[in-house]
Amino acid sequence: MESVIEARGLVRRFGDIVAVAGIDLDVTQGEVFGFLGPNGAGKSTAVRMFTTLLRPSGGTARVGGFDVVADAGAVRRIIGVALQDAAIDPLMTANELVRLQAVLHGISRADARSRGGELLARVGLSGAAKRRVSTYSGGMRRRLDLALSLIHEPSILFLDEPTTGLDPTSRLALWEEVGRLNSEHGTTVFLTTQYLEEADQLADRIAIIDGGRIVRQGSPSELKATVGAPTLRIDVGDGDDAAARNVLRRFGSQRPAREGRVAVGLEGGAAQLAEVIRALDQAGVGVAHFELDAPSLDDVFAEATGRRLEGDGVDE
Amino acid sequence: MSGPKVGPGPRSLRLSGVQTAMLARRSLVAEWRQLFSVLPGLVFPLLLAAVYTRQFQRALGLPGFPEVESFLDFILPASILQAVSFGASSAGTELALDIENGFLDRLLASPVARVPVLVGRLAGAAIVAAGKTLVIVAVFVVFGAEIAGGPAAVLVLLAVSSLLVLVIGGISQVLAIRTGSQEAVGATFPLIFVTIFMSSAFFPTSLMSGWFRMVAQNNPITWIVDPLRRLVVVGWSWTDAVAALGVPAVCAVGTVGAALAALQRKLSRP
Repeated sequence: MESVIEARGLVRRFGDIVAVAGIDLDVTQGEVFGFLGPNGAGKSTAVRMFTTLLRPSGGTARVGGFDVVADAGAVRRIIGVALQDAAIDPLMTANELVRLQAVLHGISRADARSRGGELLARVGLSGAAKRRVSTYSGGMRRRLDLALSLIHEPSILFLDEPTTGLDPTSRLALWEEVGRLNSEHGTTVFLTTQYLEEADQLADRIAIIDGGRIVRQGSPSELKATVGAPTLRIDVGDGDDAAARNVLRRFGSQRPAREGRVAVGLEGGAAQLAEVIRALDQAGVGVAHFELDAPSLDDVFAEATGRRLEGDGVDE
Repeated sequence: MSGPKVGPGPRSLRLSGVQTAMLARRSLVAEWRQLFSVLPGLVFPLLLAAVYTRQFQRALGLPGFPEVESFLDFILPASILQAVSFGASSAGTELALDIENGFLDRLLASPVARVPVLVGRLAGAAIVAAGKTLVIVAVFVVFGAEIAGGPAAVLVLLAVSSLLVLVIGGISQVLAIRTGSQEAVGATFPLIFVTIFMSSAFFPTSLMSGWFRMVAQNNPITWIVDPLRRLVVVGWSWTDAVAALGVPAVCAVGTVGAALAALQRKLSRP
């Protein structure tokens, strides 16, 4: 498959800080690629390099076959970009912004009008097109941002944390639109997110980034398969963590867990559960609560980094 | 599946012109929708002019003071400069806002050339400045000011105010690009204000003394105000028109060039 986004040893430094520490990736045409990682992992910095907003300190990046430094102009013509925080002038109306965006891309007035109307209808903003953006909700802004990024029918779309801070309904609406773009128009989508569910739902392939490095890469199912065993999480209440850990060690390798909990990858699978509870009982460890989860992307993240992504205080 | 759509390179001069006009329109619309932020820039200089005209009417008799009917004629250029100085750095503060909220990234990630991004904002601010100048001239004329240089002198006043906005706007854009902070850009306003006071704007340098006189004589604002004032008070003169326009024109080329260079530097920093 043809690679439309490609990075080789891509590095970006800010003074002594290395935000992106040499990443390699290939995104093929028509793919939805998820870049998953916590705040400060280097996701946005990488996107800014792919979208020509930031020059790499090292390595190379090509988008649509064009080098992001040498052929930046060509890259800008084929990409659509919706960056974090929906950067939209609050004093303008959706119609005005659509017209401005069209002029920036050299689209004629007539085309801008028909295409803009179509796009605003698609994201459900026709009724609000004449209203100033300052009156919009967060979800409406994001949808407008998406519509603006599509005015020139880009073949590659970059979405930087498109649903951060959105309510569940707006999030779902945006997921649907991104899915439709990809399936109906064949748009390649490069999406960064800190939400496991988002990556799981939308992405054909995922790269997990942490500390500026890609620590895992593959399809969600491939990645989950690498973790293998389901995770058993036990809350011992006021009981003895250490004793619980001693018992659980016999059933598999320990996994990172929130404070007050103990987690283990059950090597024998769910069938071992009864045996584990009996062993805990025999050791005199009381169980206040337990959960058994099939491997999730969070487990993949935890296994790769030793930390959990969820409950990392990442929400706004 | 269709390959990437590479449109014709929209970098032609004509398109740059359209993009500049569109971005200028954007800043005009913004000013219009925040009229409350434009009005003080008109009201304050007019109020000051009214007060000074009452207070300093007797100063007209001082030896060395230019021969004018009314103090109003004398301070017309000063009032225009003051009006222009309000909001002159808006091209910078709004650019800083665009940087803060990410709108600049939207512009830069599109195939628009770098020049329209900066010049569009400046052009919008220059049009607003010309509009304010026209209002001030009209109010002064209603209250009895006479412009000896006629309509041509008014045109020079309009052009000078627009050029000054480019000068101050260019400086403020450099600051915006360097700092990305509206506050830092806004802090330049008092500096501009003081620079106007330390010139011949409100009093002729011939009646000043000591270091203040030296500062005023070497203040570029004086080099602009003196020929402008002669156009208003004495009458039309090509020499004065060229002098009044030349100083801000040269400075504008310098500051707008500096802003473009600053943006280029910021974007190409590896």
